[in-house]
Amino acid sequence: MAYQLADFPFLTTLLLCCVAGLLAILATPAKHTRAIKIVSAVFSGLTLVISIYLFIAYDQQAGGYQFVERVAWIPALGIAYFNGVDGFALPMLLLTGIVFFTAVLTCWEMELRVKEFFALIFLLVTGVFGLFMSLDLFFIFVWFDVSLFPMYLLIAIWGSTRKEYGAMKLTLYLLAGSALILPAIVYLVVHSGAMTFDLLVLMEGDRFTPAQQRIAFLLLYIGFGILAGVFPFHTWSPVGHVAAPTAVSMIHAGVLMKIGAFGILRVGIFLCPEGWQYWAPLMAVLATCGIVYGTFVGLNQTDLKYVIGYSSVAHMGIVGLGLSTMTIDGLNGAVFQMFAHGIMTALFFSSVGYIYDRTHTKAIAELGGLSRIMPRATTFFILAALTGIGVPCLASFWGELVVFMSCVRVYPVAGALAIGALAVGALFMLRVVQKTCYGPPLKKFAGLKDITATLAVPRIILASVIVLFGLFPGLLFDMINTATMQLIGLR
Amino acid sequence: MNWILLTPELTLLLAAALFLVLACLKPDPRRDYQLAVTMAAFAVAAATACATMSGDLFNHVYRVDLFSQVFKALLAIGFFLVIFLCDDFQGVAPSHHGEGYFLLAVCTLSMMMLASAVHLLAIVLALELSSYSLYILVFLRQDHRWGMITGLRYFLVGASASAIMLFGLAIIYGVTGAVHIDMLIQQLPAMMGHPMAVTGLLLTLAGFFFKLAVFPFHFWAPEAYQGAPNQVAAFIAAVSKVAAVAILLRMISMAQGNSDQLARGLIAMAVISMTVGNLAAIAQRDFKRLMAFSSVAHAGYLLLGMLCMTPAGYGAAMFYGGAVLIMKYTCFMVMVRVADDGRNLQIDELAGLHRRSPLLALALMMALFSLAGIPPTIGFVGKLMIFVAAMQKGYLVLVLVAMANVVVSLYYYLLVLKAAYLDEPAQVLPSISLTMPARLVAVAMIALIVGLGFYPTTLLDLVQAAVLRLP
Repeated sequence: MAYQLADFPFLTTLLLCCVAGLLAILATPAKHTRAIKIVSAVFSGLTLVISIYLFIAYDQQAGGYQFVERVAWIPALGIAYFNGVDGFALPMLLLTGIVFFTAVLTCWEMELRVKEFFALIFLLVTGVFGLFMSLDLFFIFVWFDVSLFPMYLLIAIWGSTRKEYGAMKLTLYLLAGSALILPAIVYLVVHSGAMTFDLLVLMEGDRFTPAQQRIAFLLLYIGFGILAGVFPFHTWSPVGHVAAPTAVSMIHAGVLMKIGAFGILRVGIFLCPEGWQYWAPLMAVLATCGIVYGTFVGLNQTDLKYVIGYSSVAHMGIVGLGLSTMTIDGLNGAVFQMFAHGIMTALFFSSVGYIYDRTHTKAIAELGGLSRIMPRATTFFILAALTGIGVPCLASFWGELVVFMSCVRVYPVAGALAIGALAVGALFMLRVVQKTCYGPPLKKFAGLKDITATLAVPRIILASVIVLFGLFPGLLFDMINTATMQLIGLR
Repeated sequence: MNWILLTPELTLLLAAALFLVLACLKPDPRRDYQLAVTMAAFAVAAATACATMSGDLFNHVYRVDLFSQVFKALLAIGFFLVIFLCDDFQGVAPSHHGEGYFLLAVCTLSMMMLASAVHLLAIVLALELSSYSLYILVFLRQDHRWGMITGLRYFLVGASASAIMLFGLAIIYGVTGAVHIDMLIQQLPAMMGHPMAVTGLLLTLAGFFFKLAVFPFHFWAPEAYQGAPNQVAAFIAAVSKVAAVAILLRMISMAQGNSDQLARGLIAMAVISMTVGNLAAIAQRDFKRLMAFSSVAHAGYLLLGMLCMTPAGYGAAMFYGGAVLIMKYTCFMVMVRVADDGRNLQIDELAGLHRRSPLLALALMMALFSLAGIPPTIGFVGKLMIFVAAMQKGYLVLVLVAMANVVVSLYYYLLVLKAAYLDEPAQVLPSISLTMPARLVAVAMIALIVGLGFYPTTLLDLVQAAVLRLP
């Protein structure tokens, strides 16, 4: 596939911003927590600026891979440092930039082992950015693991509820996923007839027989699917989200789970289209199970964070459903939903995190009447809940709508089940909102403070992004569509 | 005869002779340590300087080529690093420090000879010399109870392994009538269909599997690690594995990939080694025992590279051998520094390490992630190379089994990491003070683990050029 090398290495600059931030944090003495937070905010802000610039500067008429950089890395194995972005990667970079910046601002009040915390967050995000921009299978895998292994410490040190259990479960599940991805990647590279990890070269021509594609796609689907919260490999996700501290939940549910879905798309679907076709019905079944199961188990939860955790399983099911339809609309909707869910869930976790920090409880039964006590905080919470149930003019609506439209055509039963489940879920989510935010204000919470201006900034950013893309979904759809057309056109 | 080719060996011989004399004089730990470090540094310099030399010595019994020289450089580096750890050689009585250095030097010397020997008798000689020095090194422990029991057990298992190996060599000689590797390379491949030849080769390999601690020859490892002085355990875990890889590559490559039977035998051993090693390691509470079982598992991964019997597989095994040296050494370095009185370290005792010494905690974390094969570390690149080589031979299932094992191993590595980073000690412990050189070595180890994980090209090219010397 033809591509032009970039004049200026924007993508590497983006990665270097993360690395420079990491080094700057490590160089700052641990007792200057304020300085560390400012350094973190500055560098994460820089990554956001660069990712916005990339999103705007991408030439949608030309399409294809842009801002491409390529340096031979390990020639003996055909590995290159090869970056480039297309219509799938750019929304993800933008999402990462937004969630990263807002997550850093959200933990402005944190005081426990601040230096290590931000250093690990920067390491994690470096891996996430790297994965979204990489076009070399070796680096995709390296970045995948770089973004996973800080999670263990982040949850186990700074987490809450059953944190060590949650951290261990999450790490083992996700690395079990990578234990399937690596053999699949090596399998594809070895059988390609050309010793190269270059994604674009591997896509050219019919390199793999249908049988090979089926094996590899299944491994990749399950491997990345574990991270994407695909039913029945999702059980780490609610436990991990509940145990994680707020900023980590935001990044994890907002961005890391998207890595899983993006991996299925970028490696699985790009390299094994026939494997995709073969396993698509399975994907649809598992995605529908995830939606129905996530919604109904969510009904039964008493812990606010568990509610969001299971709603994430259901929403990631919608992404999986979109990918399984093998249609242009399905793919567009799936990627749109990845973006929308990332922003929505980040807002969700940041609002619940704030409520938890003040009230010290996440139990729905113990909360009530919060809208009188902290009206600003509850506004964000309600907005996130409304986005989650897919209210029009908010970002999620468009992703869900497009996915369901294409799904009803391809898999009518699955589509009907999923829509039904979400309708029930919506009712329930409104009940949660009613229970926690309305009703008579509880005496014990009467003296609690509302969100201050500093802490409101990240939430306002997230909320405005939700509204922006809810009102102008075309901004995102046009971008995604360039990549989808190219992918479907190839087949 | 070109004596220049023998410079690394001669340097070590000189060191051994020097300490043999010093051991008879009045002990002076400070002087002995400084001398030992100096001599070890000379050995590293000599081995790197001779890295590109080649030639045959002693009537073609001894071969110096890139393959042997790369291994010698690794051995010399490992020797230097272990000697460096001996600054307060606790665990060995001060009066025996001289003997300790003497035996370490002799052992490294014999391992270098093992890397170069191409005659079966020379191989046996070198192997026995290195084994006997190790037996005595284990006995050197100040706490006699530990030293005696484990030393004796180590000796008995080792002696039986040697006997089995000699039996195997006799069979090979009986089948082919040859004792020189060059002759065997010509004759063996054609005979690999012959059950006697396969039996002979497998029995011979048993002796080397003992060194590498491959199942079912791994039973000595946990006891020996636990009973040996900590620095000696580091030497066994890190340095002696390199020599075992060298000689195994020489022996396995003799069959030139002509034997499915041999491959099947090796596959079974590799799979069982990884599985047994990883599962047993989960239950360990003693740091050295855990490392011993993790060595058994790593022996399985190394074997996976070798049994491909392709240059890619040999190169991968060689690279991974170097990686094991670095990773295992780093773990033992942390252990020696934490257990500064030479005791056996329990994993719980690592509690609060991140506060007592952030540098050591970081080094331990990187080494553990590298052992678990998480990128970007040298352990990951090694595993990737091995998997690529195995996949080229079509061993998809084998790779999946190995990856499943990696996940299991991650569990106990994370438990160690948890102790170091999360757990708080029962009472407040003082921070661990490191000398400047010790800090430098720790930083260098972290840099090597990550640096070679991100940019392994130079080392990869080197090992791939080196294994071309194999048939």
